[in-house]
Amino acid sequence: MSDRKEVSRRSFIQLIGGVGASLALGSFSSLACADVTKKDKAGNTAVFEPNAFVRVDPDGSVTVTIICPDAGQGSRTALAMLVAEELDVDWHKIKVVQAPANQSLYGRQGIGGSHTIIAQYNELRQVGAATRYLLVAAAAKTWNVDASTLKTSNGHVLSADGKKSISYGDLTAAAATIPLPTTKPELKKDADFKLIGKGATRVDNPDVVTGKAMYGLDVKVPGMLYAVIERTPAFGAKVKSINDTDAHQIPGVLQVFEVPSGVAVVATNTWAALKGRKAVKVDWDLGPNADLDSAKITAQLKAAVGPHKEMPAGAKVIDATFDFPYLAHATMEPLNAVADVQDDHCTIWTGTQQPNGAQGQVANMLKLPVEKVTVNVMLLGGGFGRRLSNEYVVDAVNVSKAMTKPVKVMWTREDDMRHDNYRPACHASLRGAVDTSGNPVGWSHQTITAGGGRPGGQFGGANIAYDIPDAAMLQAGVRVAVPTGAWRSVENTLHNVANECFIDELAHAAGKDPFEFRRSLIKNDRLRNVLETAAKKGNWGAPLAAGHGRGIACFQGYGSYAAHVIELSVEGKKIKLHRAVCVVDCGTAVNPKGVEAQMQGACTDGLSTALRAAITIKNGGVVEGSWTDFQWMSLDAMPKVEVTIITGTGGPGGMGEVGYPSVAPAVANALFSATGKRVRKFPISLDEMV
Amino acid sequence: MALYKLNVNGSDHSVEALPDMPLLWVLRDMLDLTGSKFGCGIGACGACTVLLDGAEAQSCQVTVSAIGKKKVTTIEGLSKDGSHPLQKAWIEHDVPQCGYCQAGQIMAGAALLHKNPHPTDAEIDDTFAFHVCRCGTYQRVRDAVKAAGAKK
Repeated sequence: MSDRKEVSRRSFIQLIGGVGASLALGSFSSLACADVTKKDKAGNTAVFEPNAFVRVDPDGSVTVTIICPDAGQGSRTALAMLVAEELDVDWHKIKVVQAPANQSLYGRQGIGGSHTIIAQYNELRQVGAATRYLLVAAAAKTWNVDASTLKTSNGHVLSADGKKSISYGDLTAAAATIPLPTTKPELKKDADFKLIGKGATRVDNPDVVTGKAMYGLDVKVPGMLYAVIERTPAFGAKVKSINDTDAHQIPGVLQVFEVPSGVAVVATNTWAALKGRKAVKVDWDLGPNADLDSAKITAQLKAAVGPHKEMPAGAKVIDATFDFPYLAHATMEPLNAVADVQDDHCTIWTGTQQPNGAQGQVANMLKLPVEKVTVNVMLLGGGFGRRLSNEYVVDAVNVSKAMTKPVKVMWTREDDMRHDNYRPACHASLRGAVDTSGNPVGWSHQTITAGGGRPGGQFGGANIAYDIPDAAMLQAGVRVAVPTGAWRSVENTLHNVANECFIDELAHAAGKDPFEFRRSLIKNDRLRNVLETAAKKGNWGAPLAAGHGRGIACFQGYGSYAAHVIELSVEGKKIKLHRAVCVVDCGTAVNPKGVEAQMQGACTDGLSTALRAAITIKNGGVVEGSWTDFQWMSLDAMPKVEVTIITGTGGPGGMGEVGYPSVAPAVANALFSATGKRVRKFPISLDEMV
Repeated sequence: MALYKLNVNGSDHSVEALPDMPLLWVLRDMLDLTGSKFGCGIGACGACTVLLDGAEAQSCQVTVSAIGKKKVTTIEGLSKDGSHPLQKAWIEHDVPQCGYCQAGQIMAGAALLHKNPHPTDAEIDDTFAFHVCRCGTYQRVRDAVKAAGAKK
């Protein structure tokens, strides 16, 4: 980076809030590279590129560089909206480009923890506002008037009387000569938003509906080979010997060799690789976990439960336990990466939630400086936490290095499902008490997770939303050789589900309505509001048809609040879902269409994991391999999903995860309402209710 | 290996492939038509759905040797310019999230609307029951199919 660029970069950072603030947010170490112009492709027109995030072309189009991957959460759309809002440019003039991994230029680019929009909400608006400032100043200079008299609208600068108008595209050359402002440009007031809160359809839709959208698995580079990897049948298994004679009979199969994750079969096309893999005979040493199964894991979890704290004397004591299975992420696009390893450089194409992590990991593997590793971030066919780690990138690097050619490594659906970092299995034990007036007077929640070889953290304190004296929560982990990781809303997939089932049981013990019981105990006004709204929208208290049940649950987290009412019926052995009422308060809903989509999607996840999906361990490996046995909700089984967004101001809360943790308990509570029986195990089986 | 002639999206192609190579891999690896997606390889998710003579087919389950003279339509050939009523409805209803399964959903919808421009809820249920969307876009899939049907 030139000195001039560096000086400009620093001044821009100071402008938008100081280096400390930027680094703390972890995104924007470089907002302004330089006030430079570039030639366009024809070589004769100025392109205005005032910082690393925005470019204005002479045709008035605005290109926003998106630094974070989009796994379907809509970040490419919402982040671009932030720039467009402050820049005052027509949404249809906006294009987006995806940044490759470059932490020194962009800061941390990973997505997780529902923080993408929160982290960039102010910064990207500042980017838009500062760019607008430069364009306005350029018009003022052109017209020889005071910039403060000018307005902007739809990608144009307008004179005070509105008679003169010049498009941003016509100001690119002049804008490039304007020095950066010395004070932070003022941001719009919420009331003046034209895009934020109004909503835009996704920037990728036109490419998605025509098949042009490029995911990692769609990448093809010249000379590329195709590889699949025969993976361990049990966690911790090792290759003893490989017989590849039959594999080499398959036309197109080039090489078969051991890699750290198994046995790679490299071919000239995917089908040959798949056939070759089937033909390879691998003799495995199944290793130390060959006898591991789900029953043993459950027993291990149950054995780790300690004594509950004492409940107050004279109170009515209630006990409940909940068993949760491992869950696979099962992203729609199985894991994959393309790597082109060369002596002094490596290029990766992949969909990852952690581009910087991938870059660093590859640099370490190949002993290359980070800047010699290019990570091109493709669209992600789903993330949900699975693509926070980059094993598939490591696979591709290993195989490409061995072949000295670019290689695409594809995980099959079965690989993906059987070699995940799973949402841990868990046993939750809860004890609570209500006094004779029906007030809750005790709460003790122990949750024991199967910690993937790591002992779980322990923490005390009450992480429930209810005002219950001395409520206590203890989380502990046991070591199990099944790898685990973050799965949409992480620990809240367990804790909140157990809490929200159990508060229902306490309400019942207290002889109170479960909605009213919650409402009287909720400490947070916004949470209470979403709960009340859900009850109202879900006709809480209205008479139910025979066999029908209604359940309610809520959740707060990631700076947002959600509540669900589920209505279902039980007919014989079948559960039929009728309505899913979803309410969310995420503060400023940058893109309400995106917020609604996240709630709809999280609701589907909640229903799927409440009623269908589970990962089972047998002989040290995962039983389920595809959608036939790890069953997700399908359209025909879905209830009507109704989303209400409570519109707030003052900035956004997270949306990626908040919609999940209160769905399953609302289902369980609705089943109690319908049948009088309680859920003790997920996914729910009517036969196992008590 | 054998030579197969295929008509895909109105164009004739010749490919040299193993007879049991699924159409999906012919499309993706040989013809660079990557709009049809690999989701499971066992016909359980619908991400690879294409049309064979206008009828829904899972391209991971149809071998190249079984295509014969059937005309193959992929998402890339559904319309010249994204103007199929379903493609327009998909954008209008903002259906995609990650987008990966959406080509398969749209192709299934296209086959359905071709047979029946005004499908009932039950017919939509039947058509999409084996199309997994891991992001959970089902509500909008239903809305968009209905809207596109209404406009047809």
